[in-house]
Amino acid sequence: MKRIENRYVLALIYLILTAYAIFSVVPFFWTAIQSFKTPRQANSRVPLFIFEPTLDNYSDLWLKAIPDDPVFAAIVLVAIFGLLVAVSLNARRFPLPRGLVYMAVLAAGFAVLWSIPGYIRTQTFYDYFLNTIIVTVGTICISISIGCMAGYGLARYSGIMGVVILVVALGFRSLPGMAYILPYWWFGQRSGLYDTHFLLIITLVAINQPFTIWMLRSFFMNIPKEIEESAMVDGANRLTAFIRVIIPIMWPGIISTALFTMLLAYSDFLLVRILTQSNWTLTVAISKYAAGEDPGHITLAAAAAVSAAVPIIIVVFIFQSQLVKGLTSGAVKG
Amino acid sequence: MDRRTFYMFMSPSLLIMLLLMVFPLVTSIWLSMQFMTFRNINAPEFVFLANYLEVFEDRKFWQAFSFTMTYIAIAVPLQIFTGFLIAVLLDQISKRFRGIYIAAFLMPFIVVPVVGTLMVKQLFESGGLVAWVYREVIGARFIFTEQSVKSLLIAHALWAATPFPLVVFFAGLQTLPHELVEASMIDGATRLRQIRHIMIPHLRSLFVFVGLISIMDSYRVFDSVFVLTEQNPIYKAEVMMLYTFRTAMSVQRLGKANAMSVITVVMILIVLVPFLLRTYKEQTEER
Repeated sequence: MKRIENRYVLALIYLILTAYAIFSVVPFFWTAIQSFKTPRQANSRVPLFIFEPTLDNYSDLWLKAIPDDPVFAAIVLVAIFGLLVAVSLNARRFPLPRGLVYMAVLAAGFAVLWSIPGYIRTQTFYDYFLNTIIVTVGTICISISIGCMAGYGLARYSGIMGVVILVVALGFRSLPGMAYILPYWWFGQRSGLYDTHFLLIITLVAINQPFTIWMLRSFFMNIPKEIEESAMVDGANRLTAFIRVIIPIMWPGIISTALFTMLLAYSDFLLVRILTQSNWTLTVAISKYAAGEDPGHITLAAAAAVSAAVPIIIVVFIFQSQLVKGLTSGAVKG
Repeated sequence: MDRRTFYMFMSPSLLIMLLLMVFPLVTSIWLSMQFMTFRNINAPEFVFLANYLEVFEDRKFWQAFSFTMTYIAIAVPLQIFTGFLIAVLLDQISKRFRGIYIAAFLMPFIVVPVVGTLMVKQLFESGGLVAWVYREVIGARFIFTEQSVKSLLIAHALWAATPFPLVVFFAGLQTLPHELVEASMIDGATRLRQIRHIMIPHLRSLFVFVGLISIMDSYRVFDSVFVLTEQNPIYKAEVMMLYTFRTAMSVQRLGKANAMSVITVVMILIVLVPFLLRTYKEQTEER
C-alpha cells in the first residue's frame, strides 16, 4: 500500500504503535524492577523507581546458602559457559564433524549443570530447572525424530490417507487437553509412571505431534522431489536418501519446528501440574508463588518469573526470524 | 511414494498418536461412566450416566460455562480487532522500525503463560504500578474480587493473545497485490474504503482462520485463570477447564471430571468440525 505522507497522521501512527508496544512490555519491565527490590520497597505506597538494587531475591530463590566466595563461583561459571559458547561458535574450525562438536558441547554443558549442586547448596528451584531441561530436551529429541519421518512421508505421499491423518490429527490437537490428561493421570497411577520424567516426555510428545508433523510437512514440501530422486537413481534406497540427502538440507525447518516444540514443552502447565507430585518443572514451581500471605512473596515471585522468562527470551531473540517465519508460514498459505 | 513406504515412515508417529491421543479419549469416555475417587482408582464402580446427570444439574458447572462463553465473546473480537488495527498501522511505517515493534509485540506471546500472568499480576499487587495508578485515579484500593478478576482475565487475554492475529494479518498484508491498491488510488478511493473493500476481502480467509483458532484457544484457557484465581480462590471467576481441574484434583471426583471433559469436547465440536472440513477441502484440492 502506498505510504502515508501526511506528517501528522504518521506521527499519530507511531504514537499508537508505541503505546501498544509499551502495553506489551510494561509487565516485563515492572516485574524485572520488582525483582531487584526488598519486600519493603516493593510494597511501598508510591512505586519506587530509584532504589538500591538487591540480588537477595535471586539468591533466596536459587540458593540455600550463599557460597563462601560468590564472586569466584560466578566467574568460574561464566568462564565455563563462555568457553562452551566459544567452542560451538567456532565448531567448523575443529577437525571433527560439526554435529559431533555440538553434541560434545551440549553434553559438557549438561555435565556442568548437574554437577553444580555438588559445589553450591542450591534450592529445590534449581532441581525444577534441571527437570525442565530434561523434559524439554527429551521432548524435542523424540518429537522431532519421529515427526521428521512422518512429515516427510506426508509431504511425498499423494494418497487420500495422508490428508485424513493430517486433518484428524489437527482435530485431536484442537481439543481441550483435559480430555487426554485425566486419562494419562489414571494410566500413570495404574502403571507407576506417575511423577516420572518419562511419562511427561512421552505425553508431551504425543500432544505436540500433530503440530510437529504439520509444520515439518510444510517444510518438506518446499524441497523439490528431484533431489532425492537423483540420489535414488544413484542406488540409494529411500531411507538412505532421506537421512543422507534430505535431512541435511532440512536443518532450517527442523530448527524452526524444534523452537516451537521447545516453547510448547517449556511452557506446558496443566499437564505437568496433573502428572507430577514432586518432579515439577519451572512453570508449576512458579505457580506456587502466585499466592502468598507474607509480603516477601511479591519480590520472590518477581524473581522467579524473571528467572523463567530469561532463557526463553534469549533463545527467541537468537532465533527470531525462524519464529516469525514459522508463525506465518502455515497460516498465510491456508 | 508407495503406500508401504508411507506407512513405514508414518508408523512411529502414528503409533504414539493412537496410543496417547485416540486411546485416552476413549478411556475418558469409559472413565466418565465410573464413580471414581482417589481411593478406588483400581476398582472403579460403574454408574453409567449418573456423572453426566450430576454435571447437568451442577450450578457451578453452568456458571463456569457461562463465564467461558462471556470470555470468548469479549476477548476474541477484541483480539482480532486490535490485531488487525495494529497490523494495518505497522504496514504503513518504514521497514527500518518494524522489526523492533514486532519484537516488542511478540514478547507477551512467547513468554510462558504462567509467567506472563504472574507478571501481569505483579502490576496489580499492593505496591504494583497499575494498582497505584488505580488508587490515584479512582481513589480506592484495587482488590481481587469476582468482577475485577474477570475483567483482569479479559485484559490479560488481550495482552497475551493479540500478537497471534497481529502477526498473521501483518504477513497477509504483505501479499496484498499492488496493482489493486494503485488502481483504487487512481480511482480516488479513500484509505478507509481501501481497508473496507480491498484489505478485508483479501484477508477474509485469514479472518476465519484466526477467529476459529482464537475461539478454540480461549475455550480451553487454563493457565491464566489458575494463576489469577489462586489467591483465596474466587470460584465465580472459574472457567470450565479450571472447574474440571478442581473437580478432579481437589474434590477428587474423577469420574465426574471426566464427564465434564467429555461434555466440553462435544461442545467444541460445533466450532471444530467446520474448521476441519474446511482444512480437509483445502488440503485435498492442494494435493
